[in-house]
Amino acid sequence: MRIGPPILAVGLVCAGLFTLFVPTWNLPTQGTQTGPNGPSLVQYAPTGSPLFQTRNGPPPANPPLIEDTRPATEAYKNVTVLTDLNAGEFMRLQQAITNWVAPQQGCDFCHAGGDFASDAKPTKAAARDMLKMVRHLNADWTEHVGGAGVTCWSCHRGQPVPAEIWFSRPPHPQGAHMDKPENWNESGDSVRQFFPNAGYELYLLQDTPGLAQSYTALPNGQVADQVVVKRLYEVMMQMSAGMGVNCTYCHNSRAFYDWGQSLPARWTGYSGIQMVRDINRNVLLPLAVRMPQTRETADDPHTIVLPDRMRGPQEGNGFVLCATCHYGLPKPADHAQELLTVFPGLKGPGREHAASATDQGGQP
Amino acid sequence: MPQFHTLWTHIELRGPDEAGPPLQIGSPGRIGKPFHSQWLGRIGEMQVLPTHLGPTGVASLLCGFIAIEIIGLNMLASVDWNPVRFIRLLPFLSLDPPPAKYGLNPFPPLREGGWWLMAGFFLTAAILLWWVKMYRRARALGMGTHIPWCFASAIWLYLVLGFIRPIAMGSWSEAVPFGVIPHLNWTATFSVRYGNIFYNPFHMLSISFLYGSTMLFAMHAGTILAVTPLGGERETHQITDRGTAAERAALFWRWTMGFNSNYESIHRWLYWFATLVTLTGGIGILATGTLVDNWYLWGVKNGLAPQYRPAPDLPAAPPAQALKTMQDKVLGR
Repeated sequence: MRIGPPILAVGLVCAGLFTLFVPTWNLPTQGTQTGPNGPSLVQYAPTGSPLFQTRNGPPPANPPLIEDTRPATEAYKNVTVLTDLNAGEFMRLQQAITNWVAPQQGCDFCHAGGDFASDAKPTKAAARDMLKMVRHLNADWTEHVGGAGVTCWSCHRGQPVPAEIWFSRPPHPQGAHMDKPENWNESGDSVRQFFPNAGYELYLLQDTPGLAQSYTALPNGQVADQVVVKRLYEVMMQMSAGMGVNCTYCHNSRAFYDWGQSLPARWTGYSGIQMVRDINRNVLLPLAVRMPQTRETADDPHTIVLPDRMRGPQEGNGFVLCATCHYGLPKPADHAQELLTVFPGLKGPGREHAASATDQGGQP
Repeated sequence: MPQFHTLWTHIELRGPDEAGPPLQIGSPGRIGKPFHSQWLGRIGEMQVLPTHLGPTGVASLLCGFIAIEIIGLNMLASVDWNPVRFIRLLPFLSLDPPPAKYGLNPFPPLREGGWWLMAGFFLTAAILLWWVKMYRRARALGMGTHIPWCFASAIWLYLVLGFIRPIAMGSWSEAVPFGVIPHLNWTATFSVRYGNIFYNPFHMLSISFLYGSTMLFAMHAGTILAVTPLGGERETHQITDRGTAAERAALFWRWTMGFNSNYESIHRWLYWFATLVTLTGGIGILATGTLVDNWYLWGVKNGLAPQYRPAPDLPAAPPAQALKTMQDKVLGR
């Protein structure tokens, strides 16, 4: 008996059933055309990476507001950042921050046992920096955060260290004859999530020009560095993966450089890159320099534990990128707009105000 | 009774081992004891071995082994010699060319591209030696040298990417890294950096020949299989001595599209389509960055790409003041 044809038929049926039922089919694909006919400027609904979706749940319930109209600075000792709140709002925000950032660790994560005024723990100083940062972002970075704003929950989502961060590449060991690894992520659900961090430093910390394409058809003496452009590609891909969009969300991919052919979202995206640089340069770099010991206290129950996917030889300082807040969505599902109406202390007076206060000799 | 099958190979010929023509005086011996395999007979010849390596073949394999060894050990070193991480991360590991600051320096530090240059040297040596071996075997068998020249076209593209264009641009950093995903990232970057390489006419030609090759290949193989029961498998014999197979195959295409190739010219079509894929591709890569800096703008300039009207409400570029305000915030001014 010939067994070839029956085996082939069974194999084909199995392959067909596998293709039909195993992948998650999401058909028909919903697309929205955002540009003229021709350049394929279409946006598909973000399907959301499974890795990110676990982070996009609702925020914890807001703590109750207890009426106490004394200024926070009078009711509590050593209040330096949230000086514009009354004591009730202040306490409510403190409790919310605990829920957002350190729900397992509780107040002790930042406050030294019982003495809430004490500055003994380095995490308290870090929390102050973070609060100042959030107030700064909501007041001064409206180009990017718009009317929605950000809160601690936007990035932390219930963890002391946000799940999506990157580390600067450690300096090369002296005398080594072979190159070091490139900080590739070691897990992910699309190829782009594996891309190395090596280039993030160039664009999300330093000021490397992002324009790689020539403005002239023929060579003009300006030669971009292929390796640096590759880094730029990796940075743009983390942006794309972190937000769950493709290149054409912002760019007309036939002429990436051209603002005139780009979509308005490019300006929001560009200001996001600048905002990330502001955070990394002016908040996280000084913070990491000041408190290098936080990640080395493994036997401390309140230690900061790195997320699982940050395995491997991660050294150097932790920094933010697009996914830190976006978690795979073009508009973060962080409920910041509602939360900011409940917690007014998360929006600061802004740079303009601070600058004029300094000019008049006031306290900065 | 063996039976011809139109979809897969059914006929296997099992005979005594074929030793090949007698060795020429001074020629090294052939390697391997011949055996027959029924499974390999399904996709090719039943007899496996002997093979001929010769001095160039041995040298080529040696150089190739050294190149793969340098690449593999560098990748293994980059994951701190951990075999599990090596396998998990293998698609992402890379051996990179020297950074731009070393230009065309032939001896950059080992960890900054020195190993890449060495691996590239040995890989190139292996490929060129294999070409010599191919050429010599073709000559030894009294064949034409069509196959080595077709292979030379692929080598041309390889040399343009890793050797000729980097020299023209004055830096090894222009070359392709070794690694699976890294070389794909290089390709994507290269296209974007030069303003979208799809507007490069030589890239267009290369793609046309590539897709054309597959189409011609399918047309030809389909035709021959379809007329094989009529004697069509003796296709080169039918170039001059046409039988019913050749006539029917010709009629089929003439009645399908009005024109047909013949048993000789279809092989020339296939040969040139395949050879021109890498020949035109290499020209396109070599012209990129050296003669043309932005293929999209080149396309607009030459009427290849349409110029869309800018959207009425959007500025052509962000206002300078907005950019400055933002930069001030980043720099804490």
